[in-house]
Amino acid sequence: MTSPESSDDKPVLMPHSYDGIQEFDQSLPNWWLFTLFGSIVFAALYWAYYFHSGVAVDDHTALDADLSVLEAKQLAAVKDLNDETLWKMSRNALTVTEGQAVYTSLCITCHGPTLAGVKGIGFRLNDADWVHGNTPTAIYRNISEGIVFDGKPTGMAPQKALGTAKIAAVTAFLLSTQEPGKLAVIPRSEEPSQK
Amino acid sequence: MAHVPQRDSVTTIAPDGSRRFLQPADVGGQWVRARRAFGWLLIALFAAMPWIDINGNPAVFLDIEQRHFHLFGATLGLDDFWLLFFAISGLGFTVYAVTAMFGRIWCGWACPQTVYMEHLFRWVDRWIEGDHHQRTRLDGLPFNDPEKLRKRGFRFLVYIALCWLVAHIFLAYFVSIPGLYPLITGAPTAHPTAFIGMAAMTGVLLFNFWWFREQLCLAICPYGRLQSALIDDNSVIVGYDARRGEPRGKAVAGITTGDCIDCRRCVQVCPTGIDIRQGLQMECIACTSCMDACDDIMTKLKRPVGLVRYASLNELNGGQTQYWRPRTILYAALLGIGAVVAAFSLSQIQKAGFKLTRQPGVELYTDSPGAVTNFFRAKILNKQGREVRFFIETEFSPVPITILNQSAGLVVPPEGEVTFPLVIMVDRAHYTGEFNLTVRLRSEDGKTRLKQKLHFLGPDSTAPQPPTR
Ligand code: SF4
Ligand code: SF4
Repeated sequence: MTSPESSDDKPVLMPHSYDGIQEFDQSLPNWWLFTLFGSIVFAALYWAYYFHSGVAVDDHTALDADLSVLEAKQLAAVKDLNDETLWKMSRNALTVTEGQAVYTSLCITCHGPTLAGVKGIGFRLNDADWVHGNTPTAIYRNISEGIVFDGKPTGMAPQKALGTAKIAAVTAFLLSTQEPGKLAVIPRSEEPSQK
Repeated sequence: MAHVPQRDSVTTIAPDGSRRFLQPADVGGQWVRARRAFGWLLIALFAAMPWIDINGNPAVFLDIEQRHFHLFGATLGLDDFWLLFFAISGLGFTVYAVTAMFGRIWCGWACPQTVYMEHLFRWVDRWIEGDHHQRTRLDGLPFNDPEKLRKRGFRFLVYIALCWLVAHIFLAYFVSIPGLYPLITGAPTAHPTAFIGMAAMTGVLLFNFWWFREQLCLAICPYGRLQSALIDDNSVIVGYDARRGEPRGKAVAGITTGDCIDCRRCVQVCPTGIDIRQGLQMECIACTSCMDACDDIMTKLKRPVGLVRYASLNELNGGQTQYWRPRTILYAALLGIGAVVAAFSLSQIQKAGFKLTRQPGVELYTDSPGAVTNFFRAKILNKQGREVRFFIETEFSPVPITILNQSAGLVVPPEGEVTFPLVIMVDRAHYTGEFNLTVRLRSEDGKTRLKQKLHFLGPDSTAPQPPTR
């Protein structure tokens, strides 16, 4: 039996001594050293792969690729949206109800609960007079892009974040009270809710 | 012969830096039994939390995706994040107070690392590979020995299954049981992130419990180091009564010996591989195994138990343990203050969130002949599990204002969030320049009231009114 004194791994003291304090000469755990050398190797591989291999896709390119996929999807959806389809949607009860829900949660603030507009803020939307375009696609665009007048943004902010489907539904809801071919264009100054 | 622990070096790390894998002996006794019961209670609680339903939500459900944190019936949003200050400082002072008084009692009784290691995985070791003699024999066999392959392989599979289970329960804290179910039944390709996360977590747990074990407490856990630093001569630790035990050795006629017969039982059972008779050491997780081991021997020898016991260094040196000393009083006082403030703040938690910012993408204000108008974007968060109708009203304003189209109120779905434009108008006749106002959000039942100060922008009061178009 080995006694503690003769144990094979009695730590050795380092020869130096500072202020009478000496330290043991013990090795670090191998798993610990493995994490050190492992991260050095990882850093080298990472650096080589991301900066010099030409294989890795950098974040900007990846983001651009993702965005273009998204945009392609949107474009594909918008492509099917023309005056005719929007009119058709405006006669579909489901789409109109969906559009009305969006309207009451959002547009109602400025255009009022009865679409009558709010003086000085939101245009009247329940008559046949339109200021910024009188086609379904123009209405869609105005909701999506917002309205800039005289080179200045107006209170009508872009609502692009709603997404194609919801904007189309709101457009359909607005068109549901209108008749095809009966939308007239009037100058901005004559819009009744502006006076 | 088994390795003899040194006080000056770590038992589980050999001089060449390689790992010395321990196979601690099994031990039974009052402390082990009590700890096992407590450990299983904790495991059961951990597993039960996601299943217990309080106010329609799991007892603990940290819904990171929706930014709702359900805790024992209360629902907290991101805007209640500051409460975490009390949670963390409270935890800190609890550790301070408890450790200063009772040493590393957390490590021995409640830490998940100890609870799962001692009460689940070591139990599997014993069940499959036998006691520590058999396990040590298995360790010594070549890796391709059929018996070793069979037993180790089977044990590995059991470990994977257990770690996989623990990982699932853990994930349920973040996605809830109903949210977990489709992840379990669906194909891994349908939800690669969750699957990889789960596999990684299982892997980490497996590595920890299969191989890493006491190294976590030794070299990684900050809690362990912190607790070591908080122990003083009056903290109750697992200690060896050297005054009674020494000089150790077999009783031989003519030589006076202490009660320790140097049977080394306490060393064999230690999961961190130390010899408690060398005094308090940083490896000790206060697991009480050596207390039970020694009590067993003392009982057989018909000597009083408690040669290794819960005692402070002062007590072991013949003095008295002083539980209440300036340190512990201070920690307890800070803990008490923190708890009172935390309880008060919890009672003040609002069941809704309300935030007004300026509407992006539009003019700062419009100045039409009739009125000056400002555009805001309102965000209402409903933290309740039912639909609530909210009203936005004027709390204070120096001039009469109109909040457009909000009289009907707004219905926010259960635990939902709505963002919508809010338009505030001031009649040109009342407008006298920019001003500050306060609006409030009121729930229909009037129980929730949240205020926000706003600055109303507009032209100088001296500016002429725009001409009527
Ligand atoms: S040292 Fe850390 S991991 Fe180990 S038992 Fe204590 S708290 Fe748990
Ligand atoms: S010395 Fe005793 S209490 Fe400490 S870890 Fe070892 S067996 Fe547990």
